[in-house]
Amino acid sequence: MRFLKLILVLLFIAVPLVASADKAKTIDELAKMYDSSSCKGCHEDIYTQWEKSHHARPLMGVKGGLMLSPLAAKKGTDGATAFSEDDPKKMKIKNYPCFKCHLPQAITSAEDSVAVELTEALLAKDKVKIAKLQITCIVCHNTKAIIHKRELGEPEKGVIYSTKDMGAHPGGKIKKSAIFKDSIYCGQCHGLGPNLEFDQPFQCANLYGSYLHSYVSGGGTQTCQDCHMQKGDHLIAPNWNDDKGTSELLAKAISLDVQTLGYEWLRKAKTYVPKVVVSTKITTTAGHRIPDG
Amino acid sequence: MVVTAKAADGKELGKVERHYHPQATNCRDFKMKYGAQWKVANLRDTSLQPGQAKKETIEFELPEGVRNADVTIELFYEASNPDNKYPIHTVTRKVSLDK
Ligand code: HEC
Ligand code: HEC
Ligand code: HEC
Ligand code: HEC
Ligand code: HEC
Repeated sequence: MRFLKLILVLLFIAVPLVASADKAKTIDELAKMYDSSSCKGCHEDIYTQWEKSHHARPLMGVKGGLMLSPLAAKKGTDGATAFSEDDPKKMKIKNYPCFKCHLPQAITSAEDSVAVELTEALLAKDKVKIAKLQITCIVCHNTKAIIHKRELGEPEKGVIYSTKDMGAHPGGKIKKSAIFKDSIYCGQCHGLGPNLEFDQPFQCANLYGSYLHSYVSGGGTQTCQDCHMQKGDHLIAPNWNDDKGTSELLAKAISLDVQTLGYEWLRKAKTYVPKVVVSTKITTTAGHRIPDG
Repeated sequence: MVVTAKAADGKELGKVERHYHPQATNCRDFKMKYGAQWKVANLRDTSLQPGQAKKETIEFELPEGVRNADVTIELFYEASNPDNKYPIHTVTRKVSLDK
């Protein structure tokens, strides 16, 4: 009997500790848990590139459009969605299926109270608060670094995964991720098609589907990283907030060939129809459809 | 892509637009939707495909007396809404019916 008692007591202590230590209750706690500002001192170039990237502002939309706002809208009001509730307090992590790709750490590491706080911030257009939620260095170099979890287990806390084993390192031990150089790594978030696993399906990015079914099928062999991360670039362009840079990138990637012809077409005897014919041919160097979504 | 033909005096003779993008509905009706929260699956996809050229032939019939046209082809990218444009290429050609 004493033995049994002891176990009960232990459980009593252990359960609340696990629950509260593992999950963030507030946006600040979640941001802190994945905070990567310590990497800046030593990886300055990469850090500055990342800061300008879409990965650093995954909930802000193009040009600050706060694209989760329709989900935060009160059910029944104009623009509200199937994921909306009639009271911000009822919002849960699962009301934001967008987190699957826009903020994966919210699924693994946040309490529902974070969804409530986010909803209130969206309704108040509190961009400063929402901007704290990012796909940080740790999200990519840890959370998303392992997919073969049955064989390889969950990503270890405090470890940084990358393209090779490096052992001790100031930001945390570096281990090799099996997929870091593969397109499927990016494909985890860049979408295959409709997200059918939710109780209400929806579709956002499906560019990885296009890569697999139109590029690979056509004999394409380059990976996302080959084309988008040359020399370890972490801006991973395009950056849609940079109009000039994006126009230049697109002009390089997309070519437009134009042929024109003017002549008089003979419709029937003595009936000439003056015509201008314009032939256009557009090609791209991308490894997937353009545009996506 | 917008292809415009204009006469020498600037009068518009014709204008044709082509839109290249995936188009999705919510699968409950045939209305196209914008926004991940509304879209469920693509119904049509006119986007530029890897390794495949997108070809168009556009014809303008000129009104009587007009023998020259200025043709402008503008290719641009629109992100999130039609007002947010990224110009890609603009090509202009003078086309004449006289040798
Ligand atoms: C005190 C300096 C310092 C800090 C802080 C630091 N790093 Fe590093 N990191 C280095 C050095 C030095 C290397 C080795 C560079 C080399 O040999 O290519 C390295 C290598 C790496 C590599 C492997 C690069 C490769 O060639 O595959 C990754 C990934 C990495 N760091 C990520 C991070 C992340 C993420 C953080 C923040 C959590 C971080 N580092 C913090 C100094 C630092
Ligand atoms: C399967 C992963 C995935 C899911 C789930 C997802 N998104 Fe996205 N979303 C992306 C990716 C990747 C991009 C950027 C690349 C692209 O558009 O091809 C993106 C882009 C966007 C954009 C355009 C903004 C920009 O900067 O490019 C909006 C708006 C957006 N998502 C809204 C949502 C909303 C709202 C939800 C939830 C209802 C959602 N997304 C769910 C992956 C996803
Ligand atoms: C979107 C996911 C993503 C994010 C965010 C990200 N990384 Fe990376 N990082 C990668 C991938 C993938 C590679 C391997 C690229 C390749 O194939 O060479 C990489 C490579 C690296 C390397 C090795 C670079 C080299 O030259 O080989 C370092 C160092 C690094 N990352 C540090 C960081 C730091 C620091 C941050 C945060 C500022 C960060 N990463 C954010 C995905 C990411
Ligand atoms: C954790 C999920 C995640 C991973 C992993 C990821 N991305 Fe993204 N990526 C996103 C989201 C979400 C956005 C859009 C953010 C926004 O709304 O602005 C995005 C934006 C982008 C963009 C900007 C273009 C646009 O339309 O927004 C590019 C390019 C891109 N990602 C390429 C990559 C590449 C290449 C990799 C692999 C090295 C990768 N991503 C890995 C989630 C991810
Ligand atoms: C063969 C080279 C190539 C490969 C492979 C490739 N891309 Fe791209 N991608 C491009 C080019 C070129 C663009 C046009 C903009 C630019 O130049 O950055 C682009 C644009 C994009 C965009 C913006 C799309 C939009 O909506 O217009 C995203 C997001 C993106 N790529 C992600 C990826 C991901 C994720 C992968 C892997 C699944 C990938 N790319 C593979 C070359 C490539």
